[in-house]
Amino acid sequence: MGRKLKDSVFILGVGCTRFGNLLETPELKGLSLHEMAAQAAQEAMADAKVDPQEIDAVFVGNVTYPTSLLPATYSQIADWLGIQLKAGVHFDAACSTTNVGITMAAMGIASGVYDKVLVVGLESTLSQPKTLSPYERTTIPTEEMWLWTDHCVGQSYSVPQGYDIFPTYNAFNAMGYCRKYGLSLDELEHGLFEVCRTRRLHGSMNPKAIRQETLEQEAKRMGFDDPWKFWTSRFNPHVAWPSRLNSVVTPADGASAIVVGRREGAASSQPVELQGFGISVMDLPWYDEDPTVMPIDQESFKKAYEMADIKAKDIDYLHTHDCSHIMGICVAELSGYLPQGQGLKYAEEGRLRFDGDRPMSTHGGRHAFGHAWAASAGSDTYEAVKQIRGQADARQIKPFPKTAVIHTHGYAMISTVLVLNGGN
Amino acid sequence: MAESIIKQYYDALGQGKLLGKKCKKCGAYTFPPTTACKKCGSSEQEWVELSGKGKLLFLSHGMAPPPNPRFAEIAPYAYGHICLDEGVFVQAIITGVSIDPDTLKSYYERVPVDVVPDIQEIKGLNVLAFKVA
Repeated sequence: MGRKLKDSVFILGVGCTRFGNLLETPELKGLSLHEMAAQAAQEAMADAKVDPQEIDAVFVGNVTYPTSLLPATYSQIADWLGIQLKAGVHFDAACSTTNVGITMAAMGIASGVYDKVLVVGLESTLSQPKTLSPYERTTIPTEEMWLWTDHCVGQSYSVPQGYDIFPTYNAFNAMGYCRKYGLSLDELEHGLFEVCRTRRLHGSMNPKAIRQETLEQEAKRMGFDDPWKFWTSRFNPHVAWPSRLNSVVTPADGASAIVVGRREGAASSQPVELQGFGISVMDLPWYDEDPTVMPIDQESFKKAYEMADIKAKDIDYLHTHDCSHIMGICVAELSGYLPQGQGLKYAEEGRLRFDGDRPMSTHGGRHAFGHAWAASAGSDTYEAVKQIRGQADARQIKPFPKTAVIHTHGYAMISTVLVLNGGN
Repeated sequence: MAESIIKQYYDALGQGKLLGKKCKKCGAYTFPPTTACKKCGSSEQEWVELSGKGKLLFLSHGMAPPPNPRFAEIAPYAYGHICLDEGVFVQAIITGVSIDPDTLKSYYERVPVDVVPDIQEIKGLNVLAFKVA
C-alpha cells in the first residue's frame, strides 16, 4: 500500500499562455514576464471561479534566473495578481517545476494548512532583459541558453568535464533502444519521423503551440514535396547522431498556472482529482548499461500508481517528457501504457494520435507545443485537464479520458508523475 | 583549512590518477567522489584509485558551439557512455575519434570497445577524457 494524501485534493482551474517568443509571437510580443505570468494565473483563477483574495498561498517557479532576474517571484507575481499578505514561495524543479508545485500544494491542502493554492510557472528561454530594462528584452544565443540551463546539471564533475544533453538524453538512448529491441537504425529513423509527424499534427491543431506548422507543411515550405526527404536532408541535421533536430525540444517562452484546492465549496464546475503522484531524483549518469531505463522513472511511476491505486491498463491519456522523442517513447513503455519495444511502431500506425487508441501528448509535446522550462509541466497538466473535461476542441480524445498520467523529467533529473482523475 | 573533495579529484587527474571513494560499509564505489556512498548513503568511505580501464558502450557527439565555453575550441567533440572495470558508469569526451555519421555508425556496430583515460588540460582544468585502447 502506497502513501496517501490524508484528504482529497482537486485541480480547480488551469491556465496557460501560448508558448512562443516574447520578441516575436503575436500573443506574447511586448509582454514582461510579470504580465505573461498574470495571463496564465488569471485564466486559471477564472477557470476555477476563484477570487484572488481566496488564494491562501502562491507557489511560483522559474528556472533560468539570467533570463528572468526574478529570484523573488513570490512577492512580485503575487503583487501583480492582487494576492498580497498570503503565503508564498519561489521554487524550482526545472522542467518538472509546475507539477512539483501541484504536489506541494496538495500536501499543504491535505494537511489542513491551506484551502486553495495557486501554482505558477514562468520562463523565458529565448531572451533576457536588455541592459536591466524593466520592459525591453534582447535575444540570447542558443548556447548561452543551454549554459544557463545546464546550471541544473552536475556542477562538480559533469558540466566542467564536457557534459552535453544531446548525446546523453537522445543519442545513447536511441542506440540503446535499437540494440535492446533489435531495430535497425533505418527503422529507428522512420519511427522517430512518425513520432514527430504526430506531435506536429497535434501542434497544428493547438492555437497555443509554438509550432503550428505540420511536418509536411514545413517540408513543403523548404522545397520538399516528400517530407521523408526533408527529414533526411541537411535542414534536419543530427544534433547528436543518430538523433535529429526535429526529434528534440523547441525552446520557448511561456507561463502556466493551476489552482489547487478541495472539492467542498469549490465553484469550479469540473474539478479534476489529483489521485496520486510520485517524485524521484538522481544526478548523472541517469542510467547504467541500459539507457532506455532510468531508475528514477521506475520509482516515480511505482509511487504514483500506488498512491492512486491504479495500474497501467487504467490510463486513458499519457504525456511523458519528450524533450527527446526517443526518451518519451522509452518512458511511455516503462509506464506500461505502451508495450515494450512497440512505441515507434505504434507511432507509425497512428495509434499515438489524438484519435488513436493510445493517445499521447495531444498538445504537441515539447517539440511542437514548445518548452518553457518552469512552465511546461503546467502546460501538460493544462492539456490533461482539458482532455478530461472534453474541452480540447479539434484534438479532443473520444471518449473523453477519465484517468490521465503526466510524467516530466526536471533537469537534472527529477522524475515527476501525476495521476489525474475526473469526468463522468 | 579543509581540502575540497572536488579539488582533490581534479588535482589527481593532473597526476594521471582517477580518484574515487569506496564505501567501508557496503563496498560500493562512488566515482567521481562525494561525501556519501552512492549506493547506501554511508559517509564512511575511503579514497581509492580506479584503474581507468573500461568499455565504451555508446558513442555520439555534442553540439557546437558548446554550452560550456571551456570547450569552444574542441567542439563538436565525441562523447561516450563508458563502464569502468570497477562497474562504475561515466560519460566523457572521447578523443581521437571523428564524429561523422559513418564513423559513429561503425562504433555503434563495434562496441563495446576498450578505452583508457586520456586526461586533457583544457583552459586550466584537468578533464577526464578517454581514448580507444
